[in-house]
Amino acid sequence: MTSVDPRIANLDRGAALPRKNGELVFKAPWEGRAFGMAVVLNEKGAYAWDEFRARLVEEIAEGSPEYYESWLSAFESLLIDQGVMSVDELGRRASEYASLERDPVF
Amino acid sequence: MTKHDHHEQGDHGHHPEAPSDLEARTLALESLLIEKGLLTSEDVDRIISAYEHDIGPMIGARVVAHAWVDPDYRARLLNDGPAAIRELGYDYPTSTGLTVLEITEKVHHMVVCTLCSCYPWAVLGLPPTWYKSAPYRSRAVSEPRLVLEEFGVALPADVSVNVWDSSSDLRYMVLPERPEGTGGWTEEQLASIVSRDCMIGVARPRVPAEANR
Amino acid sequence: MGGMHGFGPVVVEKDEPVFHNRWEGSVRAIMRRTVGRIYHLDEFRNVVERMPPAEYLRASYYERWLHALETLMVERGVITLEELRSGRANGPATGANIQHELAPALDARFKPGDKVVTRNLHPAGHTRLPRYARGKRGVVRTVNGPFLLPDRNAHRGGKVWEACYAVEFTASELWGDRASAVDRVCVDLWQSYLRSEEDEA
Repeated sequence: MTSVDPRIANLDRGAALPRKNGELVFKAPWEGRAFGMAVVLNEKGAYAWDEFRARLVEEIAEGSPEYYESWLSAFESLLIDQGVMSVDELGRRASEYASLERDPVF
Repeated sequence: MTKHDHHEQGDHGHHPEAPSDLEARTLALESLLIEKGLLTSEDVDRIISAYEHDIGPMIGARVVAHAWVDPDYRARLLNDGPAAIRELGYDYPTSTGLTVLEITEKVHHMVVCTLCSCYPWAVLGLPPTWYKSAPYRSRAVSEPRLVLEEFGVALPADVSVNVWDSSSDLRYMVLPERPEGTGGWTEEQLASIVSRDCMIGVARPRVPAEANR
Repeated sequence: MGGMHGFGPVVVEKDEPVFHNRWEGSVRAIMRRTVGRIYHLDEFRNVVERMPPAEYLRASYYERWLHALETLMVERGVITLEELRSGRANGPATGANIQHELAPALDARFKPGDKVVTRNLHPAGHTRLPRYARGKRGVVRTVNGPFLLPDRNAHRGGKVWEACYAVEFTASELWGDRASAVDRVCVDLWQSYLRSEEDEA
């Protein structure tokens, strides 16, 4: 049974995970995927939670008011800065999905 | 040559809706991370599932404990719930109000939402399944004493049971009575005996047997 | 200790965020300052997504944002096409900001202690007057709100703000004589669900 890391579940103030009646709310499936990916990689030791959290807070302060858009941007920038993938690689792949060149089911 | 070009030429085939900008970025990330062997889709599924069911913060218990040790704070809490909660450094959303109901020797409070399942999640985390169930929602207002007995709470006939139906934008939280045998306890110890059920009004805080030495 | 306002901690940046070009930072800043004021976020997204496919694919992320901002500012009359092309302002912005509705001041008909009777509403649509509390006598316990009347909101009949009262009913009023004489049920009810006891007389 996967346990929940309270540091992630209890992100606070402006960085609080959107909830309704206590349950996490994802307005669209991609939000859940973005959430899951960032937590999985932390769990696997790719980065400390504080590193991600710091970027999340920055993005929220400076970027789109939509929470998971900030989350996504924070995650992308962290992966790029760590050299996990390049901006070009990501941009190209995203364009392929956006243009339907690539099938969204994998 | 992209699929968009084919579409503009009057293709009659059924085209799936193109992913939005955000969806495309997310798909790109997941597919690349899988290809690079850094995670699997199942890993992501597992995490989403775990966090969707986490219990959330039990801020309410800490608020109750503080009210038990500080009578002035207690008065402020009863007067303006959200402000008192923020005083302790917790975030309380501005969109919903909160009224804190004080249990006394003569009055017992209980909270329900008969119309749906409104719940003070900001202080209590996830609502329990029974709270959202049809039996609780209908019987809490019509036969509260029976419901309380089923929860193990027996009240004398002269105690007034007040059931609060959260039918509007206000939420309710119960401030239970501090039990005997907790003199000198720290706030942390006190908070540990305040369960979610106590703050809904279907349980009373209990001193564990080992503590009585 | 001062109250917290839930806007997140104050972030003191040690290093300025590095954008590929400084203009990207400006685009972000402009978006952040204008979203919710000149246009809704949904509208912004719409414009991004409606970009002609060839342009969309060629454009980078922030180029798409820039396109959306330009489109919306011109549409809303904040800047003119001419000003956009020349890069020079010809006058102040004339477009109107979107209207945000704030709750009006509380205007309550009833006060704590007032005796009220609930209406016997059986509406076809949405209401938050519970069935068990219709046509019943109670006493106002607290005054709250104003809150948006859900009956109107749910049917897009326009926004109506009303005082909302915690009304206390005796258990016997709701459930009959076999109910406890000392127990109470308190329900939060919007003003239009209530009549004063005198109205009933």
